[in-house]
Amino acid sequence: METLTLEPLEQRLAPRRGRPPSKRRRATRRNLTSYGFLCAALFCFAMFAWWPIIKEVLLSFQQTNLVDKPSWVGLENFRTVMDDPAFGQAWRNTLVFTLLALVCGYVVPFAVAIVLNELRHARAYLRFVVYLPVMLPPIVSVLLFRWFYDPGPGLFNQALDSVGLPGLSWLDSTSTALISLVIVSTWMNLGSGVLIYLAALQNIPGDLYEAAELDGAGILKRIRHVTIPQTRLILMLMLMLQLVATMQVFIEPYMLTGGGPENATVTVVYLMYQYAFVYGGNYGAGSALGLMLMIVLLAVAAVQLRLTREEK
Amino acid sequence: MKPRNLAILLTTGLAFTATACGSGTGSDAGGDTTITVACQPAKTAPKLRKAWTDDVATFEKAHPGVKVKSTDQQPCFDPKTFAAKLAGGQMETVFVVPVTNYADVIAKKQAKDITSSVGLVKNYKDIKQDVRDMVAENGKVYGIPNVSYTVGLVYNRALFTKAGLDPDSPPRTWDEVRAAAKKIADLGDGYVGYGEYGGGNTGGWHFAQALFSRGGEMVQGGKPAFNSPEGKAVLQTLHDMRWEDHSTGSKVLIGWESLMQQMAAGKTGMMLGAPDVVSDVIQKFQGKPEDYGITGIPDGKASLTGGEAYMINPKASAAQTKAALQWIDFEFNTPGKGRFDFARGKANGEAVGVPNNDYMGDSATGKALAEQRKANAALPVANYEPYVTGAAGIAPRLEPAKAQELYAVLDVAMSAVLTRESADVDQLLADAESKANSILARS
Amino acid sequence: MLNATARPEKATKSPTPVPDLRHKKPGKRRGAWADGHARTIVSPLELKSRWGRRIYWVLLTAVVVVFTLVFVFPLYWMVTGAMKTGEEIARMPPSLFPESPDLSVFADAWELFDIGTLLKNTLFYAGGAWLFALAVDVSAAYALSKLRPMFGNVILAGMLATLMIPPIVVMIPAYITVTDVPVFGWHLLNSPWAIWFPVAANGFNVFLLKRFFDSIPNELLEAAEIDGVPPWRVLVSIILPISRPILGVVSIFTVVAVFKDFVWPLLVLPDSEKMTISVGLSQTAGAVTQNQIMAGLVIASVPMIIVFFLFQRSIMAGLTAGSLKG
Repeated sequence: METLTLEPLEQRLAPRRGRPPSKRRRATRRNLTSYGFLCAALFCFAMFAWWPIIKEVLLSFQQTNLVDKPSWVGLENFRTVMDDPAFGQAWRNTLVFTLLALVCGYVVPFAVAIVLNELRHARAYLRFVVYLPVMLPPIVSVLLFRWFYDPGPGLFNQALDSVGLPGLSWLDSTSTALISLVIVSTWMNLGSGVLIYLAALQNIPGDLYEAAELDGAGILKRIRHVTIPQTRLILMLMLMLQLVATMQVFIEPYMLTGGGPENATVTVVYLMYQYAFVYGGNYGAGSALGLMLMIVLLAVAAVQLRLTREEK
Repeated sequence: MKPRNLAILLTTGLAFTATACGSGTGSDAGGDTTITVACQPAKTAPKLRKAWTDDVATFEKAHPGVKVKSTDQQPCFDPKTFAAKLAGGQMETVFVVPVTNYADVIAKKQAKDITSSVGLVKNYKDIKQDVRDMVAENGKVYGIPNVSYTVGLVYNRALFTKAGLDPDSPPRTWDEVRAAAKKIADLGDGYVGYGEYGGGNTGGWHFAQALFSRGGEMVQGGKPAFNSPEGKAVLQTLHDMRWEDHSTGSKVLIGWESLMQQMAAGKTGMMLGAPDVVSDVIQKFQGKPEDYGITGIPDGKASLTGGEAYMINPKASAAQTKAALQWIDFEFNTPGKGRFDFARGKANGEAVGVPNNDYMGDSATGKALAEQRKANAALPVANYEPYVTGAAGIAPRLEPAKAQELYAVLDVAMSAVLTRESADVDQLLADAESKANSILARS
Repeated sequence: MLNATARPEKATKSPTPVPDLRHKKPGKRRGAWADGHARTIVSPLELKSRWGRRIYWVLLTAVVVVFTLVFVFPLYWMVTGAMKTGEEIARMPPSLFPESPDLSVFADAWELFDIGTLLKNTLFYAGGAWLFALAVDVSAAYALSKLRPMFGNVILAGMLATLMIPPIVVMIPAYITVTDVPVFGWHLLNSPWAIWFPVAANGFNVFLLKRFFDSIPNELLEAAEIDGVPPWRVLVSIILPISRPILGVVSIFTVVAVFKDFVWPLLVLPDSEKMTISVGLSQTAGAVTQNQIMAGLVIASVPMIIVFFLFQRSIMAGLTAGSLKG
């Protein structure tokens, strides 16, 4: 690395001149050293974070087979995906999935965290088990639930059967397939939300509750007037993070439903994958979908940024 | 961790960066010709793998100066990475392409023109003409066909007997299929008369198979042609089997393997499938060999054809091309050698006897192969006779253009009739047709 | 959105008595009722009332039972499912305990899925990613925090901006990049670098590290600089030793992320000899029986559960900061 050789050289030069190196020289030296330290990161970011974003924009206006030079096709790719019968459905599914996942993955963990925070026993155990599924590779959760959802000997229908209820079709019906995916997704992600909220709750000063209690506030009022305002920032942050995370749903439809039945579980990312890697390498159309998703996510981020700024 | 250790760690990390990608593939030593060949059997099949390695050694001995390196990516043709491997120069010298992708690969100039050197494959002329034509364009040859078959009806003979049906006279029409399926499903809980896919592009694929068998067409003159009486019959029959007869099971199958797995479990009566399904059901999924038989496709107006061909990397040198074709000749096209060493196959527990490859037809080589296969059969060959006689006269049909996209569209219709009793077949087909129209209209 | 994150140094010396793992010595149970517990929504008085106690115990029991059912029982079902025979696992109604637990299925699954290779690969990718990402991101964060180069803020902003765009959204161009890295012309398909490079390009890690480094007083470093200590030595012998907590957090999240990732290795490591455990399981799961699948899943879960047991504290402590990745 250049910094190693530069440094002693500077030291040798400096005393000879008899005065400290000029401000400008120091700045240059500092910059050189800095970029020495930065170069590996700059390479990684440039090639694998920044370039793909630019490339996505380019690709969505191109047609390429990776061998020949890509050709410009204007809006052709966008027309292709928007003509796709699954296009509208994919966005609708992604939206519904996101909303359902928000109810399950946002409200539920907050409620769970509030209850956990009140408990005086078994805390370590509860924290441990709630986070256990988060540690498992998603493929494990997904394949496990694929078995649970089996309409025959699967755990869920057998459990329903044992209490005298009729079994459900789970993944095999347009009405239940998407919610079944939400359940898997919630199961494997719930833990991190719970623990984050728990940490936030523990940071609320206890005297606030005492003051509220002195004012005669009941338990629900204390939650409304102390707990929620005190955790507002983290709640808002998590809302956006959840939104971004659930919009990327892929492994669940990929492994469990193949987008069906009747496109009921096709998501935007799944469709994108289909175009690029199943429909004979239509990278352009896939990128066009990716670009649309990117714009939506950026819009979400902008709204979020604005809300947090207003908050302060 | 001590700072010193951390420092060592970080330096190691950075040193890694410096040496990244420094090690390329070594160049050929001493004027040897090195070729890479795809489709080495996976580690999980040690006997097959050993047979392959032995073949490589034998081949190298017979052709001094030629070095063969094998790759074992599974499946050995992966549409997901095909384009990228080729663009990245990682494609093998000899690679396999399924019939679905012939046209695409040839059109994109991803295979070498080997017209002048096909003679190196000694039995090339014995390969069926129509099969050879599939990998040729404008009189130029781009590949050596390796496998060819048409789809039939795989059935469980034990279940037929159990349900009071005669396993030696399997259904010949779709009506008979439906009747037989009902009888099998009536055996009790968990029995499925006729198994079918409903998603993950396999639903549409099987729709096409059933459509062809009834004499329908997927695409004609660049327009979708499946919204026809035949197409309606396919969906209506399936719908009625699911909701009136309850003979198709209630679980929607999406993966290609899922149906074979269900078949192998022994409670499913019939499914559409080529002979390789029989080998997979028996070998991979441990079905009882004597239970499974195959017959020609119901109605038998036509049948989807499948198969694969070996092609040569367009970047291969003349010497590599020569060695590559010699390898294809040795390993895949010589009776008694390589994959056609049936005696060794039988000893290794392969599913010898399944008529899973008809690419040589009735030619001299084809007859020799059929004889040797029978002589070394490890499986009850009689179970496959109905297919051999049934498939002989059936017209082969190729997959349509943009097959995967059309299959995705038809998945919707297939999953609808399998999951929704109220599904309206006419509406489903009309929807699928308009969707297919826009797909096919695209250049 | 990043200002809202709890600063790591603040979290460790938070003024409120956080009943965190680190504060709670094992065996200190007597205070469990009220004294050792911070004031929460329900006051100790309310809790000690007769009804308060009743409701509390009912609630506690309910929560413990429900949590066990929801989070532990599926795993129990997975393990026992693996030990059932093919016939027993398909039985309706199912048996709660395997009739004759058969451990040989784990050996079968190990063979069939080729789990030895898969695990070895995954450990190699995770270990390499850990070394490489730490080296790259620590250097970058150090430069941005302490050396403060020209355009440093622009670079940091650029790195943070990538957080708004999850990697899966750009998977197609990223995949194409990997097959042919611009300028260098490398083909990284089936190479571990296809995992390591993108892992190091993690804006969140750089941000976490930089913020931690920012909290280290500059006087310390200036003294060293006057003594003529070169920057890399400052980093190694002054900064890194103080930064162990944050290095731990970054390390664990990097390793866990590589273990859990699915789509990316599915695309860039297609060779069966190079696959990760997640991808390998998904590829072979169609070709084996249900109890063998479950056995494979059990084996694949073990490394992560071990990591969880060993590093539970760091994982949970780092979660407030680390999970913001989403």
